[in-house]
Amino acid sequence: MSEEEQESGPVPHRAFWTGSISIGLVNVPVRLMVMVREHAVSFRLLHRKDGQPIQYRRVCTRDNREVPWEDIVKGYEVRDGEYIMIEREELEAVRPESDRRIRIDRFINVLEVEPVYYDRTYLLVPDKSPDAYALLMEAFRRKGRAGIGRITLRTREYPALVREYQDALILITLHYPDEVTDPAAVEELSTIPEPGKKELALAERIIDDLTGELDLSGYHDTYKERIEELIQKKMKGETVHVEKPKAAEARELMSALEETLAQLKESR
Amino acid sequence: MAGDQRVGKVPVTNLDRILYPSPGVSKKEVIEYYIRSAPRILPFLSGRALVLQRFPDGAGGQGFYEKDAPPGTPDWVTLFPHVSRTAGREIRYVVCDSPDTLIWLANLAALELNIVLARTDDPETPDMMLFDLDPEPPAGFPEAVETAQALRELLAELGLSPFVKTSGRKGLHVVIPLDRSYRFDETRTFVHAVGILLSGRLPVVVSELSGTHTPGTVFVDYLQNAAWKTMIAPYSLRATGQATVSMPLSWEEVRKGVMPEDFTIRTAISRTGDPWKGFFDQAERLPEVNNE
Repeated sequence: MSEEEQESGPVPHRAFWTGSISIGLVNVPVRLMVMVREHAVSFRLLHRKDGQPIQYRRVCTRDNREVPWEDIVKGYEVRDGEYIMIEREELEAVRPESDRRIRIDRFINVLEVEPVYYDRTYLLVPDKSPDAYALLMEAFRRKGRAGIGRITLRTREYPALVREYQDALILITLHYPDEVTDPAAVEELSTIPEPGKKELALAERIIDDLTGELDLSGYHDTYKERIEELIQKKMKGETVHVEKPKAAEARELMSALEETLAQLKESR
Repeated sequence: MAGDQRVGKVPVTNLDRILYPSPGVSKKEVIEYYIRSAPRILPFLSGRALVLQRFPDGAGGQGFYEKDAPPGTPDWVTLFPHVSRTAGREIRYVVCDSPDTLIWLANLAALELNIVLARTDDPETPDMMLFDLDPEPPAGFPEAVETAQALRELLAELGLSPFVKTSGRKGLHVVIPLDRSYRFDETRTFVHAVGILLSGRLPVVVSELSGTHTPGTVFVDYLQNAAWKTMIAPYSLRATGQATVSMPLSWEEVRKGVMPEDFTIRTAISRTGDPWKGFFDQAERLPEVNNE
């Protein structure tokens, strides 16, 4: 990972969608970029014996013979083990048409949308017409409002929120209400007791003591960092012995023990 | 599994479990403390039956005494079997004679290591004598300090040079290494007699068990001078909020202003010197005490 990348987040992706934000009769041409990229180290599976990559094959569960793509069709399980086949053309026919528009229905307070509804975040960049983009962004900022509407991405239509974020417009796709669990429907939660006054006062005091400003910069994906370190070592030809979690602590204790043993030997 | 971790040959578990919540001392730190203290503490543990006080839920939790070696004790741990008349059965005491055993004990969260006052080769013959100075509120550590200094003076007049340590709780332990030619009833009588003499000199001192709960006094407890009774080992941790240590002190340190909380797992390591070094090389003989 380069230094720069650590400073300012991942290098932006190229735009993957071009269209426009439509508010009534007004259109603001934009392009959509993926904004959040989770860092994960990807591995391939190998055959330990000879180091060759492992391959997945689509085989028929009846005779274990490989099935070519053109003979594969989607099935919907109606009952256990019983399917109806749906052809690609049939799916195409009902697919929502992407009209390359982000249709804004109304303007709301940004804070009205519960973060649990947030799905994915995209960066909107101006396409050809920066003036319209800048105007919309500035208006959002001044009013503290955001647009709520719909977008069709690939095969799905999503509710979407368009808002200003650090001198840019972003789009957040949202979950449908029926995709989000209603806590009231969870049995364990309907029976939780009222906390005692004393306990509550104590809990509040603990919260007050630890209250501070949000700073995520102190959080790191230490697992990923260690994997990268491991890969670097391996590339340099160092042998990596398999370590159990927390081995570092045991190692520290081991060196303390070695020092002590040396001390005991000396005084003997 | 966490059991795969080892320090030397000793399997260790849950190293990041917090055993002292308020100073945030983890089991790892406790194990490290005992490893680093091994050269100082082992002379007082080896060749001696140990009574463990274990605190698996940390110092704030309920600890338990353990005389018998716990189930799963590794075969390399030295055990001392003894048929106890009071228990009516054989007790297998742990004998801690190596850094490995210390690590094993620390991993069991045996924070408090209690030692008997005699050796395994002759458990009825004491090799040390204990004056346990126990202040009763509102008397506290300052009164214990005052008592210890007066006791030291008195013992010096009798030709004895005692050692001193904090109990790690509220009192002080004044200890004399002994030539192994006395019985426990003799040392007990001697400590009791000295307590009576001391109470004549210092009004705060109580020498009788019946007076122990008199507020504002310091009891010179002689009763621990008995076979199979124990004392917290010098340099043992205590299960106190501050992670205090039963700390050996030089007599110069036993003065106004010193507090048990000055000596904790964190401060103990940085102490230079060992005021109890060569303890057993200075074994004393008991003088006659005129108890008039």
